[in-house]
Amino acid sequence: MSFLHSVRDIFRGRAMGTAGLIWLCVILFAALAAPWIAPFDPLDIDPVNRLTEPGWPHLFGTDHYGRDTFSRCIYGARMTMLIGLGSVAFALVTGGAVGMLSAYFTRLGNFLMRGIDVLMAFPALLLALVLMTLLERSVVNTIIVIGIVYATTTARILFGMTLKLKREVFIDAAVCSGAGHGSILFRHILPNLISPLLVQASFIFAFAQLQAAALDFLGLGLPPEVPSWGNMLSESRIYVTRAPWLLLYPGLLIILSVFSMNMVGDAMRDSMDPRFKDDIAGV
Amino acid sequence: MKLKTWLKSAVMAGALLACTGSAMADGMLRYATVGEPPSLDQQVITSDLATTIAHHMFEGLYTFNSSNAPVPLLAAGDETSADGKTITIKLREGVSFHNGEPMTSADVLASLKRWGEFGSRGALLFDNVESIEATGDHEITIKLKAPFGPWKNLMAFINGGPAIYPASVLAGAGKEPIAPESYIGTGPYKFSKWEPNRYVELVRYDGYVSPEGEPDGYGGKRVAEFDTLHFIPVADVGTRVAGVRAGDYDYAESIPGDLFADLDADASVKTIVNGSPLFGLVFMNSKEGPLKDNFALRRAIQTAIDKVPALQVSIGPDQLWRANGSFMPKGNVWYTEAGAENFSKGDAEAAKAMAKEAGYNGEPIKFMVSTNYPFHYDSAIVYTKQLAQAGFNIDLQVYDWATLIDKRGKADQWDMFFTHHGFVPDPILISVMNDSYPGWWATPEKAALKAKFTASSDPAEREKIWAEIQALIYEQVPTMKTGDVYTYNIASPKLKGLADATLIWPAFWNVSK
Amino acid sequence: MLAYTFKRLLALVPTLLAASVLVFLFVHLIPGDPAAVLLGDSATPEDVARLSREMGLDRPIYVQYFIWLGHALQGDFGTSVFFRTPVMDVIAGGAETSILLAVLTMIWIIILGIPIGVMSATRHGSWVDQLASGGAMLFASVPTFWLGLYLILIFAVWLGWFPSSGFPSIHEEGGLLNLRYLLLPSLTLAAPNAALIIRLVRASMLDVQREDHVRTARAKGLHPARVAIKHVFRNALISVAAAFGFTFAALISEAVVTETVFSLPGVGQLVVQSILRRDYPVIQGVILVIVCLYMVINLIVDLAYAWLDPRVSLK
Repeated sequence: MSFLHSVRDIFRGRAMGTAGLIWLCVILFAALAAPWIAPFDPLDIDPVNRLTEPGWPHLFGTDHYGRDTFSRCIYGARMTMLIGLGSVAFALVTGGAVGMLSAYFTRLGNFLMRGIDVLMAFPALLLALVLMTLLERSVVNTIIVIGIVYATTTARILFGMTLKLKREVFIDAAVCSGAGHGSILFRHILPNLISPLLVQASFIFAFAQLQAAALDFLGLGLPPEVPSWGNMLSESRIYVTRAPWLLLYPGLLIILSVFSMNMVGDAMRDSMDPRFKDDIAGV
Repeated sequence: MKLKTWLKSAVMAGALLACTGSAMADGMLRYATVGEPPSLDQQVITSDLATTIAHHMFEGLYTFNSSNAPVPLLAAGDETSADGKTITIKLREGVSFHNGEPMTSADVLASLKRWGEFGSRGALLFDNVESIEATGDHEITIKLKAPFGPWKNLMAFINGGPAIYPASVLAGAGKEPIAPESYIGTGPYKFSKWEPNRYVELVRYDGYVSPEGEPDGYGGKRVAEFDTLHFIPVADVGTRVAGVRAGDYDYAESIPGDLFADLDADASVKTIVNGSPLFGLVFMNSKEGPLKDNFALRRAIQTAIDKVPALQVSIGPDQLWRANGSFMPKGNVWYTEAGAENFSKGDAEAAKAMAKEAGYNGEPIKFMVSTNYPFHYDSAIVYTKQLAQAGFNIDLQVYDWATLIDKRGKADQWDMFFTHHGFVPDPILISVMNDSYPGWWATPEKAALKAKFTASSDPAEREKIWAEIQALIYEQVPTMKTGDVYTYNIASPKLKGLADATLIWPAFWNVSK
Repeated sequence: MLAYTFKRLLALVPTLLAASVLVFLFVHLIPGDPAAVLLGDSATPEDVARLSREMGLDRPIYVQYFIWLGHALQGDFGTSVFFRTPVMDVIAGGAETSILLAVLTMIWIIILGIPIGVMSATRHGSWVDQLASGGAMLFASVPTFWLGLYLILIFAVWLGWFPSSGFPSIHEEGGLLNLRYLLLPSLTLAAPNAALIIRLVRASMLDVQREDHVRTARAKGLHPARVAIKHVFRNALISVAAAFGFTFAALISEAVVTETVFSLPGVGQLVVQSILRRDYPVIQGVILVIVCLYMVINLIVDLAYAWLDPRVSLK
């Protein structure tokens, strides 16, 4: 109940944020229910009905294999959610741990944050590009690589925020009352970081979509047989004049989803603890 | 609003810029390539792109006419002794290299020797060569260990072939391609510069001495009409097409089949279909794994596949592909239907039964394919589905090209891989004939037929033996042909003198704008 | 300030060294062999091994690293396997395009980002503001390659106003007019980044407007436009300067994609193509140069930030 209340508080009066949240729920629903709502098998090849225009029964037309674009778009929602949630989880857990521990244990921090500095010296897509060539194209590897890229920024941000918290009175009080490191980290510091982490998560989610699409476009992202919006764009770019609809729908879906995620992030940031507002990069 | 008027004027200014700058020199041909060639050293490099550029500046002793028969280029004529083991080649006199030096037998000797030892197709001929020497300023004599039928075809095939360089640039040359400053040939265009990622520039060679005769294929008279040829890497297909339409390029290669109908109807571009098809090949591992020597299992795989849907999906319009089981296209002297009845059965039930009989129990079969060539990948997707329907457990592994050619060299990493093969004028040049090409097909039956095939120089007999080899390929299945693909290029309608079809690589001598 | 700058510069050295090890390791761990790419499909594994040996690629990786580092310290990044010319020349060839593209993009970002951002903030809450902010967010959500493909379709293919692709150097025939080749790419690249700047300028101006010295200035009866320019806009510049670092990084990253779409002979394309070709020396060289540049720009941004904003102390 209290969760719903806080959601309501965040989005009350923020029409764009609310619209974004609704759209994301639609995507989530499509992702979960894909096998039931997709009219065709997204991998079914039909050489006779190649590149048919949008209409009935192929609402969004078919691609050069004769696969149904509408069904592929619906299954693409799965990849969107998987890549988004996966890389967010990876970035927050690894980046968060590194950032918090580094700020808390100063000596360890010196060492770890130097490592983060080295990784951050590489522009994001460049790092992802090299790592993806090194590993094989797969869903897990894409999640890890995008996760690593955003783990670095997350670590920096959490490092700064933990340092701020460390200086606050209630932490001193906890130390005086004899609390252990684990207890201070998990019971006193972490709970204060939850809301900024959520905001950061929403922005990572948005950026990860664009990053994953760029990797797919360069032929270094998800395996090409996986129906993702990025792969659909990458495969159909040569048909931009012959079959423009192939490029249109997945493109619009990416834009809408990234836009929604940014809007949700915005709404959440506006209602966030003012101490940390400046720390979140975001859009 | 202010912003709007500002934007408007910016767009206008841009439009103005676009108009004023479009007057370009007509002496330049701008050719949009799929990418950058690896090197232009024809002796060691077999990339078609490299040859497309390099055959304007490098020439061999022979070349092909429009019916794919070898005709003299730098050679003036030749004689073969009665026992077929001594070949004397006379060179044309008065030919000079781009550095001004005259071409003599010393240069030809050095070029042939380097090609024989390090060239990518050199060993095919030189494994049979006893000795080679200059027997005059303009004469070369080759002594063979045994009569060798395909020698002239090998000499005429410039791709990975014996291009003639000056002896001076070949001192110390090995397997490593020669550096750009050593690109000195005898052709109608000479190398000017290579701006990485920008273009390769060739300019007219004023001292060019052309062979005589009506132009016929690559043979006959060659005139360099352009001042400059620019070969510009444009990796994105859409951009290549848009570029020719917009007039930024005069010629663009490797256009996807699905755009053919539109482009063919479009007056602003001319489509040029290549006369010689290339074909896909799925190689099987003869060294390790479940397919090693289980020919029955390979035949089961072959039976499961229907090649037509893969061609439809990967190429598109019917004019651009042919479900042809013969390794050489119809109309070619090497065309034969031997064994080809097994080319495209597409019979899942029969395949299932055959696999069972061959002792197949669902072991995973690793199938490697690269996304760098969409037609490989598209076909592989279709085959994988068909094979799955016939009960095969296919593990499709998708890599970039560089990774694939690395992995295929390691016998324990794969069972099948997809590649394609350019048109070659003599079946001896087809990669599956090479025992050390990945797949490593080297059965005693093949060895026996191959020996007979190269020893004969009687065309009719060689054609008969080739038919037997092709039948053996369908029986032992070292590789599966996937069908003929007629690639096409597009050109600006302003280009004059272009043939309606390309022989193998587009050529721009005798072409103007 | 000078001592501080020097200290910061010195601190870059270990990071750079670590980055070089990382780059070298990554690049050499990528499966594949430049020799195999060079020789092409018809080459046998024996051919490839022979060429690999000739090129010295069969030596242990740490030996190769130290040889490479030794040369790199003297400014020599080796010879491109593919082009057979010095890596520095190959990079220099791509630098012209990349630098011009970056400059044009920055111009777009500034002339679009700052005025719209300022306008949005001064009319905070109005429909202009809502449209600008919403639009900015929308453009920040568009994949650059998608935008680029449609710009080519509309402006190059349908309308024929601009060239579709490529970029002949400004030293070639056509001179500065050749910059028109970069208009669509720079616009593509600028769109998401200008959007970020719009939002940033807007946000920081709104923050500043609430601050004391602005209220004081207003209370003193200064003309609102004067307040907007003198006090608020100057502060907006600080945040723009701060954003410069990450904008630059975004430019490099997104340029990889944009250059691919428009077939521009820039550094980004060079990275992608060199990876496909396994041209180790070029990949290493380019990435290291970019990393260097990136770190130096971030340093400059930090210093400029400190200089612009007196509240930041030099720790």
